[in-house]
Amino acid sequence: MAMLEVNDLHVSYGAIKAVQGVSFKLDKGEIVALIGSNGAGKSTILRTISGLERAKSGSILLEGTELTKLKAHKIVEQGIAHVPEGRRVFPGLTVTENLRMGANLIKNKAEISAEMEKIFDIFPRLKEREKQQAGTLSGGEQQMLALGRALMTEGKLLMLDEPSMGLAPIIVEEIFEIIKKINAEGTSILLIEQNAFLALNTASHAYVLETGKITMQGSSQELLNDERVKAAYLGA
Amino acid sequence: MAYFFQYLIYGLQLGSVYALLALGYTMVYGIVGMINFAHGDFLMIGALGTYFIARAFEGFQVNSAFPMLIVGIIIIVAMVGTGAIATGVEAIAYRPLRNKPRMIALITAVGVSMFLENFPRALPFIGPNPRSFPTLFRGKSLNVFGATITTTQIIMILLAVITMLLLYLVVNRTKIGSQMRAVSMDKDAASLMGININRVISITFFIGGALAAVSGICYASAYPQVDVYMGSWLGNMSFVSAVLGGIGDIRGAMLGGFILGIAQIFATAINSTFGYAVGFIILIVILLVRPAGIMGKLVVEKV
Repeated sequence: MAMLEVNDLHVSYGAIKAVQGVSFKLDKGEIVALIGSNGAGKSTILRTISGLERAKSGSILLEGTELTKLKAHKIVEQGIAHVPEGRRVFPGLTVTENLRMGANLIKNKAEISAEMEKIFDIFPRLKEREKQQAGTLSGGEQQMLALGRALMTEGKLLMLDEPSMGLAPIIVEEIFEIIKKINAEGTSILLIEQNAFLALNTASHAYVLETGKITMQGSSQELLNDERVKAAYLGA
Repeated sequence: MAYFFQYLIYGLQLGSVYALLALGYTMVYGIVGMINFAHGDFLMIGALGTYFIARAFEGFQVNSAFPMLIVGIIIIVAMVGTGAIATGVEAIAYRPLRNKPRMIALITAVGVSMFLENFPRALPFIGPNPRSFPTLFRGKSLNVFGATITTTQIIMILLAVITMLLLYLVVNRTKIGSQMRAVSMDKDAASLMGININRVISITFFIGGALAAVSGICYASAYPQVDVYMGSWLGNMSFVSAVLGGIGDIRGAMLGGFILGIAQIFATAINSTFGYAVGFIILIVILLVRPAGIMGKLVVEKV
Protein backbone atom coordinates (compact mmCIF):
# COMPACT_ATOMS: atom_id res chain seq x y z
CA MET A 1 0.00 0.00 0.00
CA ALA A 2 1.25 3.45 -0.81
CA MET A 3 2.07 5.79 2.09
CA LEU A 4 0.11 8.57 0.41
CA GLU A 5 -2.24 8.32 -2.51
CA VAL A 6 -3.97 11.37 -3.95
CA ASN A 7 -6.68 10.67 -6.55
CA ASP A 8 -8.29 13.21 -8.86
CA LEU A 9 -8.11 16.02 -6.31
CA HIS A 10 -10.02 19.24 -7.00
CA VAL A 11 -9.75 22.34 -4.79
CA SER A 12 -11.30 25.75 -5.41
CA TYR A 13 -11.13 29.15 -3.77
CA GLY A 14 -14.55 30.51 -4.66
CA ALA A 15 -14.62 30.60 -8.43
CA ILE A 16 -10.88 30.04 -8.78
CA LYS A 17 -9.96 26.44 -9.50
CA ALA A 18 -6.61 26.09 -7.77
CA VAL A 19 -6.19 22.33 -8.15
CA GLN A 20 -7.86 20.49 -11.04
CA GLY A 21 -7.73 16.73 -10.95
CA VAL A 22 -4.33 16.05 -9.45
CA SER A 23 -3.28 12.44 -8.77
CA PHE A 24 0.02 11.22 -7.39
CA LYS A 25 1.43 8.74 -4.96
CA LEU A 26 4.30 8.37 -2.56
CA ASP A 27 5.68 5.06 -1.27
CA LYS A 28 6.88 4.44 2.24
CA GLY A 29 10.39 5.79 2.83
CA GLU A 30 10.42 7.81 -0.38
CA ILE A 31 11.05 11.51 -1.00
CA VAL A 32 8.67 12.81 -3.65
CA ALA A 33 8.82 16.38 -4.94
CA LEU A 34 6.15 18.59 -6.46
CA ILE A 35 7.74 21.27 -8.58
CA GLY A 36 6.23 24.15 -10.47
CA SER A 37 6.10 27.91 -10.57
CA ASN A 38 4.27 30.31 -8.28
CA GLY A 39 0.52 29.77 -8.24
CA ALA A 40 0.69 26.29 -9.75
CA GLY A 41 -1.27 24.94 -6.78
CA LYS A 42 1.54 23.22 -4.88
CA SER A 43 0.84 24.78 -1.48
CA THR A 44 -2.89 24.28 -1.94
CA ILE A 45 -2.31 20.56 -2.37
CA LEU A 46 -0.35 20.36 0.88
CA ARG A 47 -2.90 22.52 2.72
CA THR A 48 -5.68 20.24 1.52
CA ILE A 49 -3.83 17.10 2.60
CA SER A 50 -3.43 18.50 6.10
CA GLY A 51 -7.03 19.73 6.27
CA LEU A 52 -6.45 23.49 6.19
CA GLU A 53 -8.42 23.63 2.94
CA ARG A 54 -11.39 21.47 1.94
CA ALA A 55 -11.25 19.33 -1.19
CA LYS A 56 -14.11 19.87 -3.63
CA SER A 57 -13.78 16.30 -4.81
CA GLY A 58 -11.27 13.49 -5.00
CA SER A 59 -9.61 11.43 -2.34
CA ILE A 60 -6.48 11.54 -0.20
CA LEU A 61 -5.45 8.24 1.37
CA LEU A 62 -2.77 7.94 4.04
CA GLU A 63 -1.94 4.24 4.31
CA GLY A 64 -5.48 3.59 3.19
CA THR A 65 -7.18 6.05 5.57
CA GLU A 66 -9.30 8.70 3.87
CA LEU A 67 -8.28 12.19 5.04
CA THR A 68 -10.56 14.54 3.10
CA LYS A 69 -13.39 14.35 5.63
CA LEU A 70 -11.19 14.82 8.72
CA LYS A 71 -10.48 18.07 10.55
CA ALA A 72 -6.93 19.42 10.56
CA HIS A 73 -6.14 18.45 14.15
CA LYS A 74 -7.37 14.89 13.51
CA ILE A 75 -5.18 14.59 10.42
CA VAL A 76 -2.12 15.36 12.55
CA GLU A 77 -3.10 12.38 14.71
CA GLN A 78 -3.15 10.21 11.59
CA GLY A 79 0.54 10.96 11.11
CA ILE A 80 0.91 13.95 8.81
CA ALA A 81 3.51 16.52 9.82
CA HIS A 82 3.30 19.71 7.77
CA VAL A 83 5.93 22.44 7.72
CA PRO A 84 3.96 25.29 6.18
CA GLU A 85 5.16 27.86 3.70
CA GLY A 86 6.92 30.76 5.39
CA ARG A 87 7.78 28.58 8.40
CA ARG A 88 5.00 29.96 10.62
CA VAL A 89 6.72 29.44 13.98
CA PHE A 90 4.87 30.97 16.95
CA PRO A 91 6.80 34.27 17.20
CA GLY A 92 5.96 35.07 20.83
CA LEU A 93 6.76 31.61 22.19
CA THR A 94 10.28 30.46 23.04
CA VAL A 95 12.07 27.76 21.07
CA THR A 96 11.24 25.17 23.73
CA GLU A 97 7.59 26.25 23.88
CA ASN A 98 7.35 25.99 20.09
CA LEU A 99 8.72 22.47 20.18
CA ARG A 100 6.39 21.55 23.01
CA MET A 101 3.46 22.67 20.81
CA GLY A 102 4.50 19.96 18.37
CA ALA A 103 4.26 17.46 21.21
CA ASN A 104 0.62 18.30 21.81
CA LEU A 105 -0.53 14.78 21.11
CA ILE A 106 2.06 13.09 23.32
CA LYS A 107 0.68 12.54 26.80
CA ASN A 108 3.77 11.15 28.50
CA LYS A 109 6.12 13.86 29.84
CA ALA A 110 9.26 11.70 29.75
CA GLU A 111 8.55 10.93 26.12
CA ILE A 112 8.25 14.65 25.34
CA SER A 113 11.67 15.39 26.89
CA ALA A 114 13.24 12.45 25.08
CA GLU A 115 11.72 13.63 21.81
CA MET A 116 12.97 17.16 22.46
CA GLU A 117 16.51 15.89 23.13
CA LYS A 118 16.38 14.12 19.77
CA ILE A 119 15.44 17.38 18.04
CA PHE A 120 18.26 19.22 19.82
CA ASP A 121 20.65 16.50 18.61
CA ILE A 122 19.58 17.11 15.04
CA PHE A 123 19.61 20.91 15.44
CA PRO A 124 22.27 21.86 18.03
CA ARG A 125 21.66 25.52 17.07
CA LEU A 126 18.16 25.32 18.55
CA LYS A 127 19.58 24.06 21.85
CA GLU A 128 21.73 27.21 22.05
CA ARG A 129 18.64 29.35 21.50
CA GLU A 130 16.36 27.31 23.80
CA LYS A 131 14.97 30.24 25.80
CA GLN A 132 14.85 32.75 22.96
CA GLN A 133 11.56 33.90 21.42
CA ALA A 134 11.07 32.31 18.02
CA GLY A 135 10.34 35.68 16.40
CA THR A 136 13.90 36.82 17.12
CA LEU A 137 15.56 33.87 15.36
CA SER A 138 17.19 34.14 11.95
CA GLY A 139 15.37 32.73 8.92
CA GLY A 140 17.47 29.58 8.87
CA GLU A 141 16.97 28.99 12.57
CA GLN A 142 13.23 29.51 12.18
CA GLN A 143 13.19 26.92 9.40
CA MET A 144 15.03 24.51 11.67
CA LEU A 145 12.52 25.22 14.43
CA ALA A 146 9.59 24.70 12.08
CA LEU A 147 11.12 21.37 11.00
CA GLY A 148 11.85 20.37 14.59
CA ARG A 149 8.34 21.31 15.68
CA ALA A 150 6.84 19.19 12.90
CA LEU A 151 9.11 16.26 13.80
CA MET A 152 7.82 16.47 17.38
CA THR A 153 4.40 15.36 16.12
CA GLU A 154 6.03 12.00 15.24
CA GLY A 155 4.36 11.87 11.84
CA LYS A 156 4.91 9.12 9.30
CA LEU A 157 4.82 11.59 6.44
CA LEU A 158 6.62 14.92 6.58
CA MET A 159 5.39 17.58 4.15
CA LEU A 160 7.75 20.49 3.48
CA ASP A 161 6.53 23.64 1.76
CA GLU A 162 9.44 25.58 0.25
CA PRO A 163 12.03 24.89 2.94
CA SER A 164 14.64 26.89 1.00
CA MET A 165 12.56 30.06 0.69
CA GLY A 166 14.45 33.22 1.61
CA LEU A 167 17.51 31.41 2.98
CA ALA A 168 21.19 31.85 2.18
CA PRO A 169 22.60 29.05 -0.05
CA ILE A 170 24.85 27.69 2.69
CA ILE A 171 21.89 27.37 5.09
CA VAL A 172 19.77 25.76 2.37
CA GLU A 173 22.50 23.16 1.93
CA GLU A 174 22.54 22.49 5.66
CA ILE A 175 18.76 22.13 5.82
CA PHE A 176 18.64 19.76 2.87
CA GLU A 177 21.36 17.58 4.41
CA ILE A 178 19.14 17.31 7.48
CA ILE A 179 16.08 16.53 5.36
CA LYS A 180 17.96 13.64 3.74
CA LYS A 181 19.06 12.41 7.14
CA ILE A 182 15.49 12.48 8.46
CA ASN A 183 14.41 10.50 5.42
CA ALA A 184 17.22 7.97 5.90
CA GLU A 185 15.84 7.32 9.38
CA GLY A 186 12.54 6.19 7.87
CA THR A 187 10.26 9.24 7.52
CA SER A 188 8.61 9.59 4.12
CA ILE A 189 8.78 13.12 2.71
CA LEU A 190 6.62 15.12 0.34
CA LEU A 191 8.63 18.15 -0.78
CA ILE A 192 7.52 21.31 -2.51
CA GLU A 193 10.19 23.48 -4.06
CA GLN A 194 10.44 26.29 -6.54
CA ASN A 195 14.12 25.49 -6.80
CA ALA A 196 13.62 22.54 -9.14
CA PHE A 197 17.28 21.63 -9.32
CA LEU A 198 17.46 21.26 -5.55
CA ALA A 199 14.19 19.34 -5.43
CA LEU A 200 15.18 16.89 -8.15
CA ASN A 201 18.51 16.26 -6.50
CA THR A 202 16.79 15.41 -3.22
CA ALA A 203 13.74 13.45 -4.34
CA SER A 204 13.62 10.07 -6.01
CA HIS A 205 10.46 10.87 -7.89
CA ALA A 206 8.84 14.14 -8.93
CA TYR A 207 5.70 15.63 -10.41
CA VAL A 208 5.59 18.87 -12.38
CA LEU A 209 2.58 21.04 -11.68
CA GLU A 210 1.23 23.78 -13.97
CA THR A 211 -1.89 25.83 -13.18
CA GLY A 212 -3.41 23.14 -11.03
CA LYS A 213 -2.64 20.15 -13.24
CA ILE A 214 0.19 17.64 -13.36
CA THR A 215 1.91 17.96 -16.72
CA MET A 216 4.91 15.68 -16.25
CA GLN A 217 6.13 13.03 -13.90
CA GLY A 218 8.95 10.57 -13.56
CA SER A 219 12.07 9.69 -11.67
CA SER A 220 14.17 12.70 -10.74
CA GLN A 221 16.91 11.53 -13.08
CA GLU A 222 14.53 11.46 -16.07
CA LEU A 223 13.19 14.91 -15.26
CA LEU A 224 16.66 16.38 -14.76
CA ASN A 225 17.51 15.28 -18.30
CA ASP A 226 14.18 16.28 -19.84
CA GLU A 227 14.55 19.16 -22.29
CA ARG A 228 11.23 20.79 -21.37
CA VAL A 229 12.02 20.67 -17.65
CA LYS A 230 15.48 22.05 -18.34
CA ALA A 231 14.05 24.92 -20.31
CA ALA A 232 11.24 25.81 -17.97
CA TYR A 233 12.62 25.11 -14.51
CA LEU A 234 16.35 24.56 -14.56
CA GLY A 235 17.27 27.67 -16.48
CA ALA A 236 19.44 25.78 -18.95
CA MET B 1 -6.79 62.73 52.82
CA ALA B 2 -9.70 60.74 54.19
CA TYR B 3 -11.65 61.61 51.05
CA PHE B 4 -8.76 60.63 48.84
CA PHE B 5 -8.55 57.25 50.50
CA GLN B 6 -12.30 56.75 50.38
CA TYR B 7 -12.43 57.52 46.66
CA LEU B 8 -9.44 55.28 46.03
CA ILE B 9 -11.33 52.36 47.57
CA TYR B 10 -14.41 53.07 45.46
CA GLY B 11 -12.14 53.40 42.43
CA LEU B 12 -10.47 50.07 43.10
CA GLN B 13 -13.86 48.44 43.48
CA LEU B 14 -15.19 49.82 40.20
CA GLY B 15 -11.81 49.17 38.63
CA SER B 16 -11.95 45.49 39.51
CA VAL B 17 -15.34 45.27 37.80
CA TYR B 18 -13.94 46.88 34.64
CA ALA B 19 -10.74 44.85 34.78
CA LEU B 20 -12.58 41.51 35.01
CA LEU B 21 -14.83 42.44 32.13
CA ALA B 22 -12.00 43.90 30.06
CA LEU B 23 -10.19 40.56 30.33
CA GLY B 24 -12.99 38.91 28.41
CA TYR B 25 -12.85 41.52 25.65
CA THR B 26 -9.12 41.26 25.39
CA MET B 27 -8.94 37.45 25.41
CA VAL B 28 -11.58 37.09 22.72
CA TYR B 29 -9.89 39.79 20.64
CA GLY B 30 -6.50 38.15 21.11
CA ILE B 31 -7.73 34.74 20.02
CA VAL B 32 -10.48 35.31 17.47
CA GLY B 33 -9.59 38.85 16.39
CA MET B 34 -13.08 40.22 16.97
CA ILE B 35 -14.57 42.71 19.42
CA ASN B 36 -17.40 40.90 21.15
CA PHE B 37 -19.78 43.77 21.80
CA ALA B 38 -22.10 41.36 23.59
CA HIS B 39 -19.51 40.80 26.29
CA GLY B 40 -21.01 43.41 28.63
CA ASP B 41 -24.25 41.47 28.55
CA PHE B 42 -22.48 38.45 29.99
CA LEU B 43 -21.99 40.62 33.10
CA MET B 44 -25.74 41.22 33.18
CA ILE B 45 -26.43 37.49 32.78
CA GLY B 46 -24.01 36.78 35.63
CA ALA B 47 -25.56 39.36 37.93
CA LEU B 48 -29.18 38.56 37.07
CA GLY B 49 -28.39 34.86 37.26
CA THR B 50 -26.87 35.33 40.69
CA TYR B 51 -30.05 37.11 41.77
CA PHE B 52 -32.16 34.08 40.83
CA ILE B 53 -29.68 31.54 42.20
CA ALA B 54 -29.50 33.45 45.50
CA ARG B 55 -33.29 33.44 45.70
CA ALA B 56 -33.30 29.70 45.16
CA PHE B 57 -30.84 29.34 48.04
CA GLU B 58 -32.82 31.68 50.32
CA GLY B 59 -33.53 28.87 52.78
CA PHE B 60 -29.84 28.76 53.75
CA GLN B 61 -29.81 32.35 54.96
CA VAL B 62 -28.77 33.00 58.53
CA ASN B 63 -29.74 36.44 59.88
CA SER B 64 -30.62 37.50 56.31
CA ALA B 65 -27.10 36.74 55.03
CA PHE B 66 -25.58 33.64 53.47
CA PRO B 67 -22.90 31.47 55.07
CA MET B 68 -19.55 31.69 53.22
CA LEU B 69 -19.86 28.17 51.79
CA ILE B 70 -23.23 28.97 50.21
CA VAL B 71 -21.87 32.25 48.80
CA GLY B 72 -19.05 30.27 47.23
CA ILE B 73 -21.51 27.82 45.69
CA ILE B 74 -23.71 30.64 44.37
CA ILE B 75 -20.72 32.36 42.75
CA ILE B 76 -19.46 29.15 41.16
CA VAL B 77 -22.90 28.23 39.78
CA ALA B 78 -23.22 31.73 38.31
CA MET B 79 -19.72 31.52 36.77
CA VAL B 80 -20.34 28.12 35.20
CA GLY B 81 -23.77 29.14 33.93
CA THR B 82 -22.57 32.39 32.38
CA GLY B 83 -19.53 30.64 30.91
CA ALA B 84 -21.80 28.05 29.32
CA ILE B 85 -24.02 30.77 27.81
CA ALA B 86 -20.96 32.58 26.44
CA THR B 87 -19.72 29.33 24.87
CA GLY B 88 -23.15 28.78 23.35
CA VAL B 89 -23.23 32.29 21.89
CA GLU B 90 -19.87 31.68 20.22
CA ALA B 91 -20.93 28.31 18.79
CA ILE B 92 -24.25 29.58 17.44
CA ALA B 93 -23.54 33.15 16.39
CA TYR B 94 -19.80 33.63 15.83
CA ARG B 95 -18.36 30.29 14.73
CA PRO B 96 -20.16 30.17 11.37
CA LEU B 97 -18.71 33.61 10.57
CA ARG B 98 -15.15 32.95 11.62
CA ASN B 99 -13.61 33.18 8.17
CA LYS B 100 -15.82 36.00 6.97
CA PRO B 101 -14.69 39.65 6.96
CA ARG B 102 -14.35 41.09 10.45
CA MET B 103 -17.09 43.67 9.99
CA ILE B 104 -19.67 40.88 9.71
CA ALA B 105 -18.72 39.41 13.08
CA LEU B 106 -18.75 42.88 14.62
CA ILE B 107 -22.28 43.61 13.42
CA THR B 108 -23.38 40.17 14.56
CA ALA B 109 -21.98 40.94 18.02
CA VAL B 110 -24.10 44.09 18.20
CA GLY B 111 -27.12 41.99 17.24
CA VAL B 112 -26.30 39.35 19.84
CA SER B 113 -26.04 42.12 22.43
CA MET B 114 -29.51 43.41 21.55
CA PHE B 115 -30.88 39.88 21.73
CA LEU B 116 -29.31 39.17 25.11
CA GLU B 117 -30.79 42.37 26.52
CA ASN B 118 -34.26 42.16 25.05
CA PHE B 119 -34.97 38.45 25.15
CA PRO B 120 -34.85 38.26 28.98
CA ARG B 121 -36.76 41.53 29.04
CA ALA B 122 -39.57 39.77 27.18
CA LEU B 123 -39.57 36.78 29.51
CA PRO B 124 -42.37 37.17 32.06
CA PHE B 125 -40.33 36.04 35.06
CA ILE B 126 -37.51 38.48 34.31
CA GLY B 127 -39.02 41.51 32.61
CA PRO B 128 -37.75 45.07 32.30
CA ASN B 129 -37.98 46.18 35.92
CA PRO B 130 -34.86 46.56 38.02
CA ARG B 131 -34.53 44.27 41.02
CA SER B 132 -32.57 44.80 44.15
CA PHE B 133 -29.61 42.51 44.41
CA PRO B 134 -29.55 40.37 47.57
CA THR B 135 -26.89 40.93 50.19
CA LEU B 136 -24.60 37.98 49.78
CA PHE B 137 -22.72 38.70 52.97
CA ARG B 138 -23.27 41.00 55.84
CA GLY B 139 -20.39 43.43 55.71
CA LYS B 140 -18.79 45.09 58.69
CA SER B 141 -17.55 48.63 58.40
CA LEU B 142 -13.96 49.41 59.20
CA ASN B 143 -12.43 52.81 59.69
CA VAL B 144 -9.10 53.25 57.95
CA PHE B 145 -7.43 56.72 57.88
CA GLY B 146 -10.84 58.26 58.34
CA ALA B 147 -12.31 56.40 55.36
CA THR B 148 -15.04 53.80 55.71
CA ILE B 149 -14.34 50.46 54.15
CA THR B 150 -16.73 47.54 54.29
CA THR B 151 -15.60 43.95 54.45
CA THR B 152 -17.75 43.34 51.37
CA GLN B 153 -15.61 45.81 49.44
CA ILE B 154 -12.43 44.13 50.57
CA ILE B 155 -13.75 40.67 49.72
CA MET B 156 -14.90 41.78 46.28
CA ILE B 157 -11.60 43.46 45.42
CA LEU B 158 -9.71 40.39 46.66
CA LEU B 159 -12.02 38.09 44.69
CA ALA B 160 -11.31 40.08 41.53
CA VAL B 161 -7.56 40.14 42.09
CA ILE B 162 -7.40 36.40 42.87
CA THR B 163 -9.46 35.60 39.78
CA MET B 164 -7.08 37.66 37.65
CA LEU B 165 -4.01 35.99 39.12
CA LEU B 166 -5.56 32.57 38.44
CA LEU B 167 -6.23 33.56 34.85
CA TYR B 168 -2.66 34.77 34.46
CA LEU B 169 -1.39 31.41 35.73
CA VAL B 170 -3.74 29.47 33.47
CA VAL B 171 -2.62 31.39 30.38
CA ASN B 172 1.10 31.29 31.14
CA ARG B 173 1.62 28.01 32.97
CA THR B 174 -0.85 25.42 31.70
CA LYS B 175 -1.15 23.41 28.53
CA ILE B 176 -4.48 24.94 27.57
CA GLY B 177 -2.94 28.36 28.21
CA SER B 178 -0.07 27.76 25.83
CA GLN B 179 -2.55 26.38 23.29
CA MET B 180 -4.50 29.62 23.64
CA ARG B 181 -1.38 31.66 23.02
CA ALA B 182 -0.50 29.52 20.00
CA VAL B 183 -4.00 29.91 18.52
CA SER B 184 -3.82 33.68 19.06
CA MET B 185 -0.54 33.86 17.14
CA ASP B 186 -1.29 31.57 14.21
CA LYS B 187 -4.44 29.47 13.82
CA ASP B 188 -3.25 27.42 10.85
CA ALA B 189 0.06 26.56 12.46
CA ALA B 190 -1.77 25.70 15.69
CA SER B 191 -4.07 23.23 13.97
CA LEU B 192 -1.03 21.66 12.27
CA MET B 193 0.20 20.93 15.80
CA GLY B 194 -2.96 18.91 16.45
CA ILE B 195 -4.63 21.68 18.47
CA ASN B 196 -8.42 21.67 18.20
CA ILE B 197 -9.04 25.35 17.45
CA ASN B 198 -12.78 25.20 18.13
CA ARG B 199 -12.20 23.70 21.54
CA VAL B 200 -9.65 26.39 22.47
CA ILE B 201 -12.00 29.15 21.34
CA SER B 202 -14.92 27.61 23.28
CA ILE B 203 -12.79 27.48 26.42
CA THR B 204 -11.76 31.10 25.89
CA PHE B 205 -15.39 32.20 25.71
CA PHE B 206 -16.20 30.07 28.75
CA ILE B 207 -13.46 31.74 30.80
CA GLY B 208 -14.52 35.18 29.52
CA GLY B 209 -18.13 34.49 30.54
CA ALA B 210 -17.14 33.19 33.96
CA LEU B 211 -15.02 36.30 34.61
CA ALA B 212 -17.90 38.49 33.48
CA ALA B 213 -20.11 36.75 36.05
CA VAL B 214 -17.63 37.53 38.84
CA SER B 215 -17.50 41.08 37.57
CA GLY B 216 -21.31 41.30 37.64
CA ILE B 217 -21.40 40.01 41.22
CA CYS B 218 -18.76 42.55 42.26
CA TYR B 219 -20.67 45.36 40.60
CA ALA B 220 -24.07 44.38 41.97
CA SER B 221 -22.63 44.02 45.47
CA ALA B 222 -21.51 47.64 45.28
CA TYR B 223 -24.53 49.07 43.43
CA PRO B 224 -27.24 46.57 44.36
CA GLN B 225 -29.64 47.00 41.48
CA VAL B 226 -29.81 44.61 38.53
CA ASP B 227 -31.70 44.88 35.25
CA VAL B 228 -31.35 43.60 31.71
CA TYR B 229 -29.59 46.71 30.41
CA MET B 230 -26.94 47.02 33.10
CA GLY B 231 -24.30 45.35 30.92
CA SER B 232 -24.31 47.81 28.10
CA TRP B 233 -22.74 50.86 29.80
CA LEU B 234 -20.37 48.70 31.86
CA GLY B 235 -19.44 46.79 28.71
CA ASN B 236 -18.56 50.02 26.93
CA MET B 237 -16.42 51.21 29.81
CA SER B 238 -14.61 47.87 29.96
CA PHE B 239 -14.01 48.01 26.24
CA VAL B 240 -12.39 51.41 26.80
CA SER B 241 -10.29 49.80 29.58
CA ALA B 242 -9.15 47.04 27.26
CA VAL B 243 -8.17 49.56 24.56
CA LEU B 244 -6.46 51.76 27.14
CA GLY B 245 -4.35 48.84 28.40
CA GLY B 246 -3.66 47.56 24.90
CA ILE B 247 -6.26 45.22 23.46
CA GLY B 248 -5.10 41.62 23.27
CA ASP B 249 -2.84 41.99 26.32
CA ILE B 250 -4.03 40.46 29.59
CA ARG B 251 -1.92 42.62 31.91
CA GLY B 252 -3.05 45.65 29.91
CA ALA B 253 -6.72 44.83 30.49
CA MET B 254 -6.21 44.62 34.24
CA LEU B 255 -4.21 47.84 34.34
CA GLY B 256 -6.65 49.67 32.05
CA GLY B 257 -9.60 48.55 34.17
CA PHE B 258 -8.14 49.86 37.41
CA ILE B 259 -6.97 53.14 35.84
CA LEU B 260 -10.40 53.80 34.35
CA GLY B 261 -12.27 52.81 37.53
CA ILE B 262 -10.18 55.11 39.70
CA ALA B 263 -10.30 57.95 37.15
CA GLN B 264 -14.07 57.69 36.89
CA ILE B 265 -14.62 57.83 40.64
CA PHE B 266 -12.35 60.84 41.08
CA ALA B 267 -13.96 62.59 38.13
CA THR B 268 -17.41 61.91 39.57
CA ALA B 269 -16.24 63.41 42.86
CA ILE B 270 -15.44 66.64 41.00
CA ASN B 271 -18.62 66.69 38.95
CA SER B 272 -21.09 63.85 38.59
CA THR B 273 -21.64 64.40 34.86
CA PHE B 274 -17.92 64.57 34.22
CA GLY B 275 -17.69 61.03 35.63
CA TYR B 276 -19.57 59.71 32.64
CA ALA B 277 -17.43 61.60 30.18
CA VAL B 278 -14.02 60.71 31.54
CA GLY B 279 -13.97 57.24 29.99
CA PHE B 280 -14.51 58.61 26.53
CA ILE B 281 -12.01 61.40 27.04
CA ILE B 282 -9.42 58.78 28.01
CA LEU B 283 -10.36 56.73 24.94
CA ILE B 284 -9.89 59.68 22.59
CA VAL B 285 -6.60 60.71 24.18
CA ILE B 286 -5.18 57.18 24.12
CA LEU B 287 -6.18 56.72 20.47
CA LEU B 288 -4.44 59.95 19.57
CA VAL B 289 -1.32 59.53 21.66
CA ARG B 290 -0.74 55.78 21.88
CA PRO B 291 -3.22 53.91 19.68
CA ALA B 292 -1.86 50.48 20.64
CA GLY B 293 -2.58 51.12 24.33
CA ILE B 294 -0.27 51.20 27.33
CA MET B 295 1.03 47.62 27.05
CA GLY B 296 0.32 47.09 23.37
CA LYS B 297 2.84 47.08 20.58
CA LEU B 298 1.95 48.57 17.25
CA VAL B 299 1.72 45.81 14.70
CA VAL B 300 3.21 46.69 11.36
CA GLU B 301 1.22 44.92 8.69
CA LYS B 302 3.49 43.14 6.24
CA VAL B 303 2.62 43.73 2.65
